[in-house]
Amino acid sequence: MEFNVVIGGEAGQGLFSVEIELTEILSRLNYYFFATKNYMSRIRGGHNFHMIRISEAPVHALSGRKWDMVIALDEETDNLHRLNLSDDGIYLSRGLIKEIEKEAREKFQDAKYANTMLVGCVLAVIGVSPGITTEGVQDEMAKHLRTGFDYALRSGIAGKYLLQPMAGDHCKFDGNQAIALGAILGGCQFMAGYPMTPATSIMHYFSTAALTMPVHFEQAEDEISAINMALGASYAGVRSMVATSGGGFCLMQEGVSLSGMSETPVVIVLGQRPGPATGLPTRTEQGELNLVLHAGHGEFPRIIFAPGSIDEAIALARKSFALADRYQIPVFILTDQYFADSIQIMHDEIPKECLSREYPVFDATYKRYALTEDGISPLTCPGLSDARVRLDSDEHDEEGKITEDLDLRARMVDKRLKKFAMIASDFMPPTFYGDRNAASVIVCWGSNKLIVKEALEKIKEDGKSAAALHFAQVYPLTAAMVAPYGLEAKRLICVENNARGQFAGLLKRELGLNVAHPMLKYNGECFTVLELYSGLKRLLT
Amino acid sequence: MTVLKRTDMAWCPGCGDFLIRDVLEKALQELYIPMKDIVFTSGIGQAAKMPHYLDVNYFNGLHGRALPLAVGIKLARPDLTVIAYSGDGCNYGEGGNHFIHTIRRRLDITILTSNNQVYGLTKGQSSPTTDLSIKNDLSPQGNENIPLNPIALAITMGAPFVARCYASDREHMKDIIKEAIPFKGTALVDILQPCVTFNKTNTYQWFKERVFKIEKPIEDRYEALKMAELWGDRIPIGVIYRNDKAVCREIKKIFRERIREEHIENQLDMRCVMMR
Repeated sequence: MEFNVVIGGEAGQGLFSVEIELTEILSRLNYYFFATKNYMSRIRGGHNFHMIRISEAPVHALSGRKWDMVIALDEETDNLHRLNLSDDGIYLSRGLIKEIEKEAREKFQDAKYANTMLVGCVLAVIGVSPGITTEGVQDEMAKHLRTGFDYALRSGIAGKYLLQPMAGDHCKFDGNQAIALGAILGGCQFMAGYPMTPATSIMHYFSTAALTMPVHFEQAEDEISAINMALGASYAGVRSMVATSGGGFCLMQEGVSLSGMSETPVVIVLGQRPGPATGLPTRTEQGELNLVLHAGHGEFPRIIFAPGSIDEAIALARKSFALADRYQIPVFILTDQYFADSIQIMHDEIPKECLSREYPVFDATYKRYALTEDGISPLTCPGLSDARVRLDSDEHDEEGKITEDLDLRARMVDKRLKKFAMIASDFMPPTFYGDRNAASVIVCWGSNKLIVKEALEKIKEDGKSAAALHFAQVYPLTAAMVAPYGLEAKRLICVENNARGQFAGLLKRELGLNVAHPMLKYNGECFTVLELYSGLKRLLT
Repeated sequence: MTVLKRTDMAWCPGCGDFLIRDVLEKALQELYIPMKDIVFTSGIGQAAKMPHYLDVNYFNGLHGRALPLAVGIKLARPDLTVIAYSGDGCNYGEGGNHFIHTIRRRLDITILTSNNQVYGLTKGQSSPTTDLSIKNDLSPQGNENIPLNPIALAITMGAPFVARCYASDREHMKDIIKEAIPFKGTALVDILQPCVTFNKTNTYQWFKERVFKIEKPIEDRYEALKMAELWGDRIPIGVIYRNDKAVCREIKKIFRERIREEHIENQLDMRCVMMR
């Protein structure tokens, strides 16, 4: 049993707070739910819509089914979403909303409380009792919610889609919160950033955390400054990160190269949105894989993660800081607007222990770029002893002094590239779903993980054999990562939110694997389960 | 550290940077700051090679980025003495935006600019401080742009310590640098540094005929701006503006402060993470 509701209206009508209040209460009441949004790059007006899927079983994607309830705060909702209302669905028209607003004005002297009434109304529809809902809620808000419940009762829609809360104890996150928390668990204590959708809320998390924790957030004058500040802090001994989107990341690229040359650890979160240039600032895409693969001039190692679930985002963000330090390289976390802005619940245990950097102390003979067997030189920070810590963006000798000794240049290149071998053997394996013997394997990466997983389950229900493989580590890709799955002999379908199949290209280049069927979507929206299922069903017959 | 001979340093014979290096070394010794606690950041250009020739910690980064590196280091480690050293092209051109905004951050950072009014390493093009009408490779018709006035800009942005010195007057330069580094706040010292190879206008002789010393720091901002406007026939050197009332921002200690489990517990707010 599940219930799908869409709430549409103009920017500035308070829809974000409806989503937040509703998901907050659903979580408190232990309902399974998934919430995401489709919004425009404007502060007032336009048309935004928030989609919430409430269920008795775990849900981590949009179903794509017809809506059970449409709430229209503007005329555009009427045009766009009413068509997709199920036959016996509930439609709260603009006219009805006006009545609710009138009631809010009369009872609470302000129409804005109609939004909380709507929350109460939705909760009434799934059969929640007002008593439970308002437990622990401020008196004022409780009144608003109750008035919403009463409205639902009067309209005869209360209990129309009865759902039981089955989720039990859990945590609730959006993708950016998961990444920010993971970063803090990874010992990240410094973040610099320039606001850019969809990465800004990571900065918000850090600036708020800084009020109570030993972490710092600095708003930079531009992204070039942000990454250089992060590198400065990392050099000074504090694990650091930046977060941005494609356009901001373009400005950061010289800093990526500097991290590679100076061997300064840094973690870079890139929340993808459709490009080129300003593109669709508030929508989703997976178009920046090639950018991140090749970002920064020169040759140096890197790692790219693309988490597909909340637990993966926390774990990989945490791990990124350990890896950045271990290999003294830039580590990327590639997400997108869809993942960043979707609210999901998670049952996994969150590790409470924070990682931290080690600070070995050396004497005056310390050499920052000492040539070692494995290419990794001991890392420390300035001011701990007589060891001078000298970093250089020029080619340098072991002490960090500028050099044009060309033999040494070759040895230094070898030193940096040696790290590739260690990184390649220290991989995060892909996740396999489905039937090992299936002839076709659906390949995906990043945020499509759980949409593909649910679509696959539907295919299995049809009695068809299929499998899926999700990559949370997209680079490096090694033969060992895919060895257990015999992909050479399979028909590969690659699901991606871009127009040219960037991951399929990478599979070909790195592993020699040919994708038979790309399934691509690049209009700025995420896939729904139904959409993927229909597409895949055709391919699998 | 490997001891470098003068000929190992990448500067031309007669370069003002040699004079600045010797004075810097002496000033740092006389200030009694442990060398292990001094961090230089620099960008790219002939001046930006300076930290390689001093017994200090350094992060010689990218062109124009000495200042954001310095900001990151200072915020992470307020215990370190942070000095950003680069040329006029680096600090005022490629890093011009950082110059403006670093001052706004109210951090205890010293910005030293070796200002030779020319791009030396790329062989003689106009820099942001090249005088109007000066001819060179890329401006054969003469430089069309008004020179940037770093002193006036820094005062306007609110820098509490703004000074200028002249590489050839070593004792004076040392005094100014020794005043700038311990100053609590963003301190700019613009150092007039004749480029013997590419700047045939602003030579040692040219400066000698023009520089004059301000005897004591100017504390009135508008008086200081008037002084900052002087260039050409008479060029003031000394502390052009000093504001001891300006307050640095407080920096929270994060280095080696562990994030503890209770921090995370609070963050999780029982079991639901609060939105925004």
